[in-house]
Amino acid sequence: MKLYEFQGKEIFKEYGIPVQSGILIHANDEVKNLTPPLVLKAQLLVGGRGKAGGIKIWDGNIDVSKIINELFALTIKREKVNAILALEKVDILREIYLSITFNRGKSTSVLIVGTSGGMDIEESTKLNKEKIHFIEFDPFLGILEYQIRYIAKKINIENYSEFKRIIKAMYKIFKEYDATLVEINPLAITPGGLVAIDSKINLDNQSYFRHEELFQKLEEEKKLIKDKEDSNASESTDDTITFVPLSGNIGVISDGAGTGLLTLDLISDFGGRVASFCELGGITSSEIMLKALKLVNGHSSLKGILVVLIGGFNRMDDMAEGIIKFKKEVKNNMPIFIRMCGTKEEIGKQLMRDEHIPVYNSLNEAAEAAVKEARGN
Amino acid sequence: MSILIDKNTKVLVLGITGKSGRLQTEIMKKYSTNIVAGVTPGKGGLEVEGVPVYDFIKEAMDNHDINAAISFVPPPYCKDSCLEAIENNIKFLVLTTEGIPEHDVVGILKFAENKGTKILGPGSAGLISPGKCKLGVHPPQLYTQGQVGVVSKSGALSYEVGKTLTENGIGQSTVVAIGGGPFWGSTQLNILKLFQDDDETKIIVLLGEIGGTMEEEAAKLIKEKVHKPVISLIVGKSAPQGKSLGHAGAIIEGNLGTAESKIDALREAGAYIANNHMEIVKLIKKIEDK
Repeated sequence: MKLYEFQGKEIFKEYGIPVQSGILIHANDEVKNLTPPLVLKAQLLVGGRGKAGGIKIWDGNIDVSKIINELFALTIKREKVNAILALEKVDILREIYLSITFNRGKSTSVLIVGTSGGMDIEESTKLNKEKIHFIEFDPFLGILEYQIRYIAKKINIENYSEFKRIIKAMYKIFKEYDATLVEINPLAITPGGLVAIDSKINLDNQSYFRHEELFQKLEEEKKLIKDKEDSNASESTDDTITFVPLSGNIGVISDGAGTGLLTLDLISDFGGRVASFCELGGITSSEIMLKALKLVNGHSSLKGILVVLIGGFNRMDDMAEGIIKFKKEVKNNMPIFIRMCGTKEEIGKQLMRDEHIPVYNSLNEAAEAAVKEARGN
Repeated sequence: MSILIDKNTKVLVLGITGKSGRLQTEIMKKYSTNIVAGVTPGKGGLEVEGVPVYDFIKEAMDNHDINAAISFVPPPYCKDSCLEAIENNIKFLVLTTEGIPEHDVVGILKFAENKGTKILGPGSAGLISPGKCKLGVHPPQLYTQGQVGVVSKSGALSYEVGKTLTENGIGQSTVVAIGGGPFWGSTQLNILKLFQDDDETKIIVLLGEIGGTMEEEAAKLIKEKVHKPVISLIVGKSAPQGKSLGHAGAIIEGNLGTAESKIDALREAGAYIANNHMEIVKLIKKIEDK
């Protein structure tokens, strides 16, 4: 779960990381008692907000409501602005990049520090590898004192004790919130000390069972400003189903990501186009199969559904049951091409035979048949 | 020979009393895997498929000769169970569980590294050495004994390729699924090295997919240290562009991870490139005819 800047900053405050004082403005709020200068920041979950004009400075020369209305009129990367964070303006002497995350390829935890922060951190690191430092740390020991001292020297930090306090607080948030990313970009050096100008916190949905109340509270806050027409919402991922809508006319359901990707490649090689891709995950059930079929079936230009099953954990008797339920509930005669094999395949295939639903054994044949159907030949 | 498991593997099943644990124990036993004990806290004294169940791993270790374990323990209890296994000197652990919180996974993998436990997973379908042993959920009817070693991230893709090879009369030495990531106890590189050293394996099939940089690193290893023929299939060439990454992820992953970058690296390393599962068969036949 990605948190908005204002949510992240609430957490920062709680853990003693200095942030600018400010207020959150919703779309229909009456704006009064604002004193310039202020930084007005659109609250969005997508990146690249600054470059897209989502951050404005109000110096008092014009009416603040004009700037606020401009921001609320914005849609950045398909995300509409529904809340603005108004912050006191601070004098920035220097910017630093700080984050704690996992180094996925190496399965370790890592503190990342950049000598200069700002909007173009990805670009600048490609150009200046020496300006970015990766400090791997032990998940049981945490970030050690000497590692912070080392990095402070590397990037030439004068106010060491404050810097250390901020990194320790970030680490605490990383651990206690089951975060996968805690980022401050930039951390500003100001005449009054260090200030976190932005916040980015991603929580691990897989840790929901440990933080039920927290997740519910954050979701409630997000609902208040989330765009109801948000196009990202159509891309659903719950515990077991991944659903990605695309623009072709063949719906694809698979019970494993690898075979799913192979199927997309085969369809493309046969000259077909995929309407949506649905992956069930390893352990599934007849209900999940039914749900997946209904999800995929919702596409308006759909010509056929290709179901690719090769079960290890996944049981073919359960899958057959789900497909049969779908056929009985949704009587739209949508052609379905099914490849079924793996765990409990004899029972699954028998169930399908009993209902006179044809089953393919070869992935190639099933994919080719689906493409032919979609092209109308 | 085969890699990681053989007829002498004596298995402990963690989470043996759950739905998946039970069914997979039954299938593994039918395949003659020597399952000697199981553990589920609070279920000590029961039997599953004739296998005695204990409350603690130490109790099982005290009563049986065990040299490998497979875990079906659900995510909330997985870290505790894995640390218990590692502390009790299990040297090879197949971790099938998906959806373990990332902080837990990183902890498990670090502790395993410290104590010298080899982990396959998390989210791994396990492995099968056809005709000898099966420590995982591979549907056994899709495999046949032979000389091709297969390593895959995805479990399903390793079934698909096993099925295709078997249907075309090509047997396998060992078929390994390391898990879909983003964290791995054993990587493609670890498995490639084992296949290189295994007498029975004559040809290696590397199944990769878009994302991350493991295939690029595997290519480097192939170029320098793997002298057996390697055939590689990278799936996801036609997949839509992924979601934008956060700053931290983008910094680590850079521009690598596309199908093209992986295929280019592997081809440059001397691997044969298959465009789909059927082409793997053609390439193997071509190599065997040489």
